[in-house]
Amino acid sequence: MSRECHISSLVVHSRPDRVQAISERIGLIEGAAVHGGAEAGKLIVTLETDTESQVVERINAIQLLDGVLAATLVFHHFEPVQERE
Amino acid sequence: MRRSVFLILAGLGPCLAAGTILAQDAPRLRGPQPFTRETPAPPMQRQVTDDVRVRRNYPDQPPVIPHSIEGYAMDLNANKCMSCHARKFTDQSQAPMISVTHYQDREGNTLGGLAPRRYVCVSCHVPQTTAKPLVDNVFTDMDALAEPERQPERGRH
Amino acid sequence: MDLTRRTLLKTQAAAAAAAAANVTLPASAQNILTGEDLQLQWSKAPCRFCGTGCGVMVAVKDGKVVATHGDMQAEVNRGLNCVKGYFLSKIMYGSDRLTQPLMRMKNGQFAKDGEFQPVSWDQAFDEMAKHWKRVLKEKGPEAVGMFGSGQWTIWEGYVASKLMRAGFRTNNLDPNARHCMASAAVTFIRTFGMDEPMGCYDDFEHADAFVLWGSNMAEMHPILWTRVTDRRLSHPHVRIMTLSTYEHRTTDLSDMALIFKPNSDLAIMNYIANYIIQTGAVNREFVEKHCNFRLANTDIGYGLRPDNVLEQRAQHANDAQVSNASSFEDYAKLMSQYTVEKASELSGVPKERLEALAKLYADPKTKVMSLWTMGFNQHVRGVWANHMVYNLHLLTGKISEPGNSPFSLTGQPSACGTAREVGTFSHRLPADMQVNNPEHRKHAEEIWKLPHGLLPEKVGYHAVQQDRMLKDGKLNAYWIMCNNNLQTAPNTNNETYPGYRNPANFVVVSDAYPTVTAMAADLILPAAMWVEKEGAYGNAERRTHFWHQLVNAPGDARSDLWQLMEFSKRFTTDEVWPAQILDAHPEYKGKTLFDVLYANGEVNKFPLSEIDPAYENREAKAFGFYVQKGLFEEYASFGRGHGHDLAPFDTYHQVRGLRWPVVNGQETRWRYREGYDPYVEKGSGVQFYGNPDKKANIMGAPYEPPAESPDAEYDLWLVTGRVLEHWHSGSMTMRVPELYKAFSGAVLFMHPDDAAKRHLRRGQEVRIVSRRGEIRSRVETRGRNKVPPGLVFVPFFDASQLINKVTLDATDPISKQTDFKKCAVKVVAAATADAGDVQ
Repeated sequence: MSRECHISSLVVHSRPDRVQAISERIGLIEGAAVHGGAEAGKLIVTLETDTESQVVERINAIQLLDGVLAATLVFHHFEPVQERE
Repeated sequence: MRRSVFLILAGLGPCLAAGTILAQDAPRLRGPQPFTRETPAPPMQRQVTDDVRVRRNYPDQPPVIPHSIEGYAMDLNANKCMSCHARKFTDQSQAPMISVTHYQDREGNTLGGLAPRRYVCVSCHVPQTTAKPLVDNVFTDMDALAEPERQPERGRH
Repeated sequence: MDLTRRTLLKTQAAAAAAAAANVTLPASAQNILTGEDLQLQWSKAPCRFCGTGCGVMVAVKDGKVVATHGDMQAEVNRGLNCVKGYFLSKIMYGSDRLTQPLMRMKNGQFAKDGEFQPVSWDQAFDEMAKHWKRVLKEKGPEAVGMFGSGQWTIWEGYVASKLMRAGFRTNNLDPNARHCMASAAVTFIRTFGMDEPMGCYDDFEHADAFVLWGSNMAEMHPILWTRVTDRRLSHPHVRIMTLSTYEHRTTDLSDMALIFKPNSDLAIMNYIANYIIQTGAVNREFVEKHCNFRLANTDIGYGLRPDNVLEQRAQHANDAQVSNASSFEDYAKLMSQYTVEKASELSGVPKERLEALAKLYADPKTKVMSLWTMGFNQHVRGVWANHMVYNLHLLTGKISEPGNSPFSLTGQPSACGTAREVGTFSHRLPADMQVNNPEHRKHAEEIWKLPHGLLPEKVGYHAVQQDRMLKDGKLNAYWIMCNNNLQTAPNTNNETYPGYRNPANFVVVSDAYPTVTAMAADLILPAAMWVEKEGAYGNAERRTHFWHQLVNAPGDARSDLWQLMEFSKRFTTDEVWPAQILDAHPEYKGKTLFDVLYANGEVNKFPLSEIDPAYENREAKAFGFYVQKGLFEEYASFGRGHGHDLAPFDTYHQVRGLRWPVVNGQETRWRYREGYDPYVEKGSGVQFYGNPDKKANIMGAPYEPPAESPDAEYDLWLVTGRVLEHWHSGSMTMRVPELYKAFSGAVLFMHPDDAAKRHLRRGQEVRIVSRRGEIRSRVETRGRNKVPPGLVFVPFFDASQLINKVTLDATDPISKQTDFKKCAVKVVAAATADAGDVQ
């Protein structure tokens, strides 16, 4: 089966007093990266995964973090990974 | 005789082959060694026909043609390239539209269609064969100079 | 998907989310380059390839050329380049660039039969100087020679000319331009008394008809072809007529193709002259006021070795260049033999096509631009062919005005600038002067501040003669610069290679890449190329165009300019000049050639501070003065006030070239006509002021057959030439992957019927055999060139298929330019050929 690459992004609404901790926890999730938005309490997060189900898994995990009000998927793109020569 | 030829080549190796040279293709650049030796003619190369776009070396490079153009008319009556690449045909053909620069005449006026000076597409756009390059070309992509940390390795071609 | 793309997509994803959340992300997260990362240093330069002289813009970053594009401000090409020009960025970056001198060695010593080993510049020059001194001492200046280039910069050619003629006192200096446009250059002087076209590229936008004589402009001059096709497609009355020995991309876009048998263009032009005379289309007033008539010596041989039966049989092989004053009546009588029937019979072109062509020339209302290159020039009667086309323009007065223009195209970027204007031919000095004219030599000695009597009067060996003399052991110390002559000279197996390997000879090759020629040398010197040095070229329309050094050459590679000047330091006047001259002028004693030729108070006049600080200049730094400026200004003094005026040096770094003569800051577009050319006297209308009586010569000459024609055994015409994607021997373009993959090797273009007759199929390996030698190639019955039955075409860019082992070393006897366009061959399947057949 050919491999795929999924790139997605979320807005993670967080309680202002927990933003810093949430940001750090997200940074530990595989393929996830925080790009900013801490001041507004809305973290901008990207995910890089191999499958669509991994996207859902990661969103669920983030939603369960302490202090997260909502995690909303904004962008999702996927394409097959071409083998390098 | 054959042995001496081999020795000459072997002797040259260390000083001349800075780049990777495929042995069977070297005569295409340097000729036979020695000069008087008869060399077989390499086989003719197959055309690339996969229609996959090839990245340009720099923004101003005319893109190469990823399909065969064998038998294409390019005369006073017809220009076969334009039957797919003209703006009005690109929705049917899904071919890239000719660049906007191609609408400008010599004086810089923008015309309603392909400027006559751009009529001969093949002066700049060339098809490709599947031949392996004879020698590496170490030309540097400007992106690699601008953001080296983002270019850890070269991707697909 | 590579990492860059992943990063880009993530940036997009983050940006989309940020927009949805109305959040501003820090700028560092954007994957769009800003500020300094985007900065490229753009500079102008002329293209490195053909004689068109397109302007290119070159982008440099971190010491590397990273992009090129057509210069919008360049008048020649206005933003366009051909595919080769668009790939200029990559020509310097083949990974087998030569970066150190290589010498054939055995046991740490030079040995003719040794293997190439890296050596230092000092070792290389020491060994070279040793051989030069030995040869000069034993055999004198005539045993020393140099083969240069129409790709040299103007100052490189100028420095070479001084070193050879004034330093070593020999005229054995010839450029590869001899193979390329000597016939054109010689005929300009014979007709107008001055070299180079009267018109310019502006004629393209004024002509009503374009007649291409043996020129496949669509492939060989693609950017000029855009100007022709632009004119044709924008103005429906315009016509393009193309004469050729086979059909190609140019005939595809022509209104009429006239496919003629090789050499019969002579008969066609004489027929047109006859038609003009017979139909009363001669512009009597113009002819009487501005033309003389002459008749050429006939039966002039083929420039082969003197013992060849064709030379011995020829009546005027030894005075081929002589012509005699004549009259319109005698000329008309000679032309009257060339009826349309005769021209049609000799050429194979239908009568109605010949008539249609003749009408264009004869019609006073049709402005005709005649264009030619190698089809005319590489011709055993190349000088006559050039004369004959001028005859048509002179008879009708269609010359020296917008749109009426006989125009000689050139193949190399500085064939005009360096080979012709600087005078690097074995018979020339700067500004059209000749070595066998004592006044001209005296003038050169004065400008060069050299003792009177120093410059040699004997015309040196021309290109083909150099090869013959190397083989015969009469030319023994030989420097080849900026060309690949072992791949491009005629009959190489018999006449070129033996001279390089002759044990009596020491052969040096300066090049950027290990070419066929370099591999056969004794010493290889690594050269800087194109924008790795400051340079100047002169294109086909008299345009002088400069560029700055933009990047450094790799390793120890150095420009030809540096090589020539540095080498001159190894000789003192006492070693190379006769005692007689030194005794009469003791102030020159004990000085090096560098001192007397280049540190002469003129060349070293301009300090380093005059160099634009934005650019590197390695040569200037090496010698301690602005070398290029000093050389250019000294050289320019030859032509200023003599119809060859050049602008001040610094001007050329600002403009996109200027067409000489540049008088009072104004370039000249049409020479010899009042109102355009400041050298024409008021009230005279037209003056061909290169000749003392200010008249041009109409030269009558007949049709004569080629040196070799197909017969029962060798039954095909062989024509050689170029293709769009590769330039000359391919040493640059074959190293650019995109160009190599666009045309990945030479093939034998053959008519399908000829292939079928020989039971050959497309792609099959064959032997191409002539009386000189043979090579193997592959049959191509389709593709861009459609040859007629009985004729085959093979390009010469592919070093694995050295077609010049097959060609004939016949030349035009007047211009000494080789005829690469016709000899007789046979083609047989490779498997069945008898290898002993041609030994």
